[in-house]
This record gives sequence, C-alpha cells and structure tokens, in this order.
Amino acid sequence: MSKLSRRDVVKGGLTVASLSALPVGIPGLAWGATENERIVAAAKGAGGGDLKGMIWSNYYVAMTPAMERFKQATGIGVGSIQDISIFVIPQRAMAEALSRSPEFDFFHVDSNMIPSLASAGLLEPLDGYMKKADFSIDAVGTYGNFMRYKGNTYGVPTDGNVHVQFTRKDLMENPDEQKAFEDKHGKKLAYPVTWEDDQQLMEFFHRPDQDLYGSANLRNRANGVTWWYMYFYSAGGFPFDDDMNPTLDTPAGRYAVETYLNIQKVSHPEAPGWGTPQMIPRITGGKAFACQYWDGIIALNENPKKSKTAGKWHYGLSPGSKFSGKLIHRAISSPLGAILVNRYSKNKEKAAYMAMWWGSLKNSEEIVADRVNTFHDPWHVGHMTSDLVKTAYTPGGIAAIETCLKVASPPIYLTGYLEFQDQLAKNLSEAYVGQKQADRVLKDTEEAWVKIVKRIGKRRLKKELASYKAVFPKVDVPS
Amino acid sequence: MATNAAAAVPGDGRVGRREMTQARAVRRFKWSVLGVFLALMVGVLGPVLFLQLYFSFHDFSIYLGSWWDAEFAGLEIFEEVVTDPRLGIAIIRSLLFAAGSTIGCFVIGFGLALLMYRPFRGQALFYIVFILPMLTVPIVIAYTGEMLLYQKGPLNDVLSWLSGHDVNVIWLANAKMALTTVMLLEIWNWVPFSFIIMIAGLASLPREPQEAAQVLGASKWRIFLEIQLPLLRPVIILAIVLRFLEAMAEFPKAWSLFQGGPGSATETIPIYLYITTWQYFEVSKGAAMSYVVMMIMIAIVLVAIYFLRREKRALDEMYGVPAEDRAG
Repeated sequence: MSKLSRRDVVKGGLTVASLSALPVGIPGLAWGATENERIVAAAKGAGGGDLKGMIWSNYYVAMTPAMERFKQATGIGVGSIQDISIFVIPQRAMAEALSRSPEFDFFHVDSNMIPSLASAGLLEPLDGYMKKADFSIDAVGTYGNFMRYKGNTYGVPTDGNVHVQFTRKDLMENPDEQKAFEDKHGKKLAYPVTWEDDQQLMEFFHRPDQDLYGSANLRNRANGVTWWYMYFYSAGGFPFDDDMNPTLDTPAGRYAVETYLNIQKVSHPEAPGWGTPQMIPRITGGKAFACQYWDGIIALNENPKKSKTAGKWHYGLSPGSKFSGKLIHRAISSPLGAILVNRYSKNKEKAAYMAMWWGSLKNSEEIVADRVNTFHDPWHVGHMTSDLVKTAYTPGGIAAIETCLKVASPPIYLTGYLEFQDQLAKNLSEAYVGQKQADRVLKDTEEAWVKIVKRIGKRRLKKELASYKAVFPKVDVPS
Repeated sequence: MATNAAAAVPGDGRVGRREMTQARAVRRFKWSVLGVFLALMVGVLGPVLFLQLYFSFHDFSIYLGSWWDAEFAGLEIFEEVVTDPRLGIAIIRSLLFAAGSTIGCFVIGFGLALLMYRPFRGQALFYIVFILPMLTVPIVIAYTGEMLLYQKGPLNDVLSWLSGHDVNVIWLANAKMALTTVMLLEIWNWVPFSFIIMIAGLASLPREPQEAAQVLGASKWRIFLEIQLPLLRPVIILAIVLRFLEAMAEFPKAWSLFQGGPGSATETIPIYLYITTWQYFEVSKGAAMSYVVMMIMIAIVLVAIYFLRREKRALDEMYGVPAEDRAG
C-alpha cells in the first residue's frame, strides 16, 4: 500500500468538501443534471397523481404543454382546474383558508396575496421541496423576493407582470412633431425620464379631435391605484413608519396624488370606467400616445395580426421622480401570477414540484414566449437572453422589461393587502371623479388604515415590515 | 265556508261536527306542509344564521387562528356597523336604486300589461318577446349593456339619430350617471316580472263591474281609474314590494360593470357587504352588517304586509265576502 502524502490528504478533503456542497437527496441522478432533470428526479419520489388547481384558463392554456410533459415524466399532472379570473382567486383562496379545505392542491394567484394567505394558514413553504430538487428562483433583480415572506418561499412565479413605459416612437421620431415641440417648449423632444417629462409629452400629443389621447393609463377604481404606488415610491415614499403608523399624508404622498390626478387632462373621459379590456384595444389601435402598462402588451402590440401599431412603439423604463432630491425609478409589479401550494392538501409535495417545473428556465421560457396566450410575461434571468422570448417581445421590449424588473416594486406587501389597497383605491377614484377633495384622499385613507392595522394587529404587521422592504429594489436608476 | 255555514240549518249538530272535522283536516294539512318548510328552514338556514350570529358577536379575524377561538365582543361590532357612514350612504344608494328601478319596472310593465291583457292575434309572440329579458342572466345583461353604452357606442348613436343632436352621454364612467346606468339595465332586466304580475291581475278582475260601467256609458279611462285600478291595488302593492326587495339585493350587474366605482358611485348595500366580507375579510363586521340589513328588509316587508292587509280588508268590505270565500 502506497503511503499517502500530505498533498493527497488535502486533495481528498477538498474533493469530499466540494461533493458535500452538491445537491443530495436525489437518488440515481447523474452529476451535472439539468434543472428539469433534477425536478423530475425529486418529483418521482413523491409518486404520481392528478392535481386540482385554482387557475384562470387564460394563464393555464400556455402552461398545459409543460404540464403534459411533466405527467409523462413523473406521473404528476393536473386533472382538473377551477377556471376563475386571477382577480377573484384571492377571495376564493381565502375562503379555502377559512374552511381549511384540502380541495385544491395549488392556487395561481397574485403573489402580493402571499402575506395574507400565509397569515391565514393556507400556504405551504416550498423551501424544503426546492432544496430536494436543488431548485432556486433565478429572477431578475430582487424579483425572487416577491415570493418570500418572513424567511420562507411560498410561491414560484409564472408571470413577471411589471409596468413598462410605452411611448409612440412614430410620433416621437416625426421631424414635424420634433420641431413643433422644440418651438413650444424650447427643448428637444426626448423620451420621458421623470413623471413631469411624461406629463408634458402626453399633453403635447393629446389630440382628442383625432381620437388620439395623451395617456392610456388606467384610472378605474380596481386598477388605477397601481399607478399611484409608482409615483409615491419614486418620490421616496413608503406607506408606514417602523411603528406601522401610515405615512401617506406626506409630501411624497401628496406629490403622488397630484401626479395621479394630473393625468385626467390627457385621459379619455371614459377612463374612470375602463379596465384592461377597454384600454388594450386603444393602445394596439393607435389611439394613445403613451402609458405605463403591463409588459405582456408588448407581445400583443408587436403582433401585426392583432395590432395596428406593430413597430410603432418605444419601450423603456417607467419614469421616475427627483422629488426626493435624487432620481428614483420604481416600476410596479401587480398582479404577479405565482403558483402557491395549499398546506392542507394531501398532494402538496407533488404540487410543489409541478410549480417548480413550470418555473424552470426551459419551461417558463416556452410559457412566457407563447404568442397567442400572452398572459405570462418574462421574469427569469434566462428569459432576458432567450431568442424565443426576444422574438415574442422584441429585443427592445425585452431590454425595457429587464430594466423595469430591476426596479420592480410591490403594492402593499403585508397581511391585509387587499384591505389596505381598496381603501386607497376608493379614495383616489373618488377624487378622480370629483366625489372627494384631493386633500382628503390621504387623510381619509390614513384613518381607514389605522383601523386596519389595529384589526390585524400592529405587532404582527411590524414583524412583516422586513419582508415588505426586502421586496424593494436595491437600485434607484437601473443600468 | 261562510256560505256553507249560512246554508246550514241552525242547531244541526251533524253539520257543526262536519265543519269542525273539516277545519281540523285543513289545519292538519296546513301544518304538515308548513312543517316541512319550517324543518327545512331550521335545518338549512338555521346553522347559517346561527354562525352569522356567532360572528356578529365575536371579533373574528381570518388572520388570527380558528373562528371558534374568536373573542366575545358583545355589541361592539353592531355598534361599529350602525355608526359606519359608508354603510349609511350605501343604504341610501340602495333605496334610491330600488325605488327608481321599481317605479321604472312597474310603469313599463303595467303599460305593457294594459296593452296585452285582452287577447289578440300574435299575442303569444309578443308575450315571449316581453318575457325574454327576465330569462337572460344578469351578468350577460351587464356585458351586453356595456357594449351598448360606451360613449361612442350604439345607444348614443341611436339617441343622436333620434334627437338630431350629437348625444355623448358617459354612461359607464361618470359618477353622477353610473347608478342610473345600472338602474336602466335593471329596469330592462325586470320589466317582465311586473308585466307578468300585472297581466295576471288584470286578467283575473271581475268583468261584471266593468261591463256595468260600460253600459252606463263610462269612458275607458274612467273604467280604468275608478274600477280596474282600485281592484288591482293589492296586486300593484305585491308587484312593487317584491320588485323593491329584489332590487335592494341587486349585485351582479353593478359589480361586473363598476365594482363599486367610479369613485363609490355604485357602492350599494350588497356591494359594500361583499367588499367588507370578501375584500377586507372582515367576516364579523360583514355578518353583523347582514343582520342589520336583514332587519331593514324585515321592516320593509312588515310595512308591505300592513298595506296588503289594509287593501284586503277594503276589498272584503267592498264585496261583502272575504277573499278566500270569493275564490271558493
């Protein structure tokens, strides 16, 4: 037997140490297995079976081919779904939480509901299963934190809904328009950097007589509030202090309300009643000059079969604000579709692997690049360089999405998200349609929020603040 | 029964016994039918109402463990509900909406019934056409209405064509107009209900007083005003009360079109109740609120019953015979 040298011992130790860092617990898996292989290997240990999910078919259709492949590989598939809108699923999921029902194995829901649903006891933490499959959420920027709450991962994203700046390139590049703008404002026509730039451009191009409206931002009660967060966060605002007292009625809050209401000058008179079904045809139909909108519309805009404005848009970073003294950009991300697993389900492990399968780079790439069912939008680091995704969203579109994801921000990422949000939404909407004075919006919302904080529990919410803050981007101006 | 009693020979013991046996049988039958309903009510509605009552008196938060661990709150939640200005405004909105849509439904339904109650050729076809809106699912009415009601939609086009002016009513986005829009859709949806009740009422009116008035030379208008209308009063009250109660509970059209907006223009009782319970997840407040609303509805029903009884008494006096015997 040959004598072991000191070098051999050190080498051997290093090999053992490096091997122990590699994933364990996936029997029969070769080293260097792909992400999908690792998920399949882990899922096989959970046994086969059909799952039942609560998911809107508009999202589910694009996820079906991947699900079928998973079923072939592991025996785990989706047997049936309850097909309801993603906007109704929070209420339905909460009803499941109330009854502690094992009926559904997974829910596809706005990830901003994670704190509320986890607090109600419905959600299964996925970290253990993710470890088994050596799976991680490889999202752009801090986007993965949208799935985390109080140190646990509760969801896997399928849809990176982030607001991107849409500006009509054909009008911006028109020499006559450029000259007219320069004559009027004494500066060159340029894509907006701040909300003030955006407002000025929208006012310049607002031509209702030609059925061209400056803004296509939503201002209905259900959705309009989403824009307010962008104005507020970019002005340096945060809605609570460390003691969970609302901090809305502040200079940043008032700036946000003013910016929110200013849009009225350049919006269609029916905007207070319009949601996405009404606004999208106006965007694709060339009846709007600019907006911040969910990035999925890029794929629709650039599909010549469905859009009159293919090739006419410039996609960029949502404007920011210098209100706080420095330029801050914040792009809102809501609703962000994610798969959450029911803690009461007997199939929770299988559902967790199904979620990871849909969230793997290879499968999610196919899901977000679907050109017919454009409900899922890019979020994965790999999507940003994927040719498949770039074809659907255009290279310019993908560049804008990546930049916006780097400053993606949540609405209220706390237990009670819907309660907090609707009080604000109601008051903003009332001010927009003239039912309330603008200066009452924040005061009335704060009064309502104090009651909500008291009802849910100040101590409990204070503990959640760290998770809320962790979702925020680490940069103010993305590269 | 009164007629039979009048025909019976006074002091005839057999008749008296037969009547008593009959009365007992009728009573037994009534209770056997009512008993089933009562058992169903207690068995099905009872637990729901009880649970709702439990929530109303216990401060339950969906985020804080099991509902059976909720703390007893006494009347605190009811106090919060009755002092909630948002609920007060929602009640006023609901009352306005119910009153407006009930009047609209009744006037049009009654008008159509007056046109239709005498048989004519092709009556069945008109009957089907008039009833169709009631058979349409409210959510479909809402979405169809939405397509018709855009500012540049067909309704404004038709109104512009009829009036010769450019009509640009903002039906779906104007806070001052939104409740009226839901009201108009509600009227369109439920005119058939009033129509059916009124046509049945008109068809069942006794012909003798009308024919006698005709012979005496009364005009159609006078016959309508002085004979038909007074005789129809109980039916009218019934049609109005039932429609009013139904309108107070209208949810699908208002929610699918407006979700309480623009602003809070369409936040009626059912919408606010839904938001409180299923958007704010304030289950206890929602339960207490629904009890308060139920009390309001019961009060409306009691008022209606009072008027119906008064009308019945007046008719009984006019005919000199109670309604049940007239029917017999």
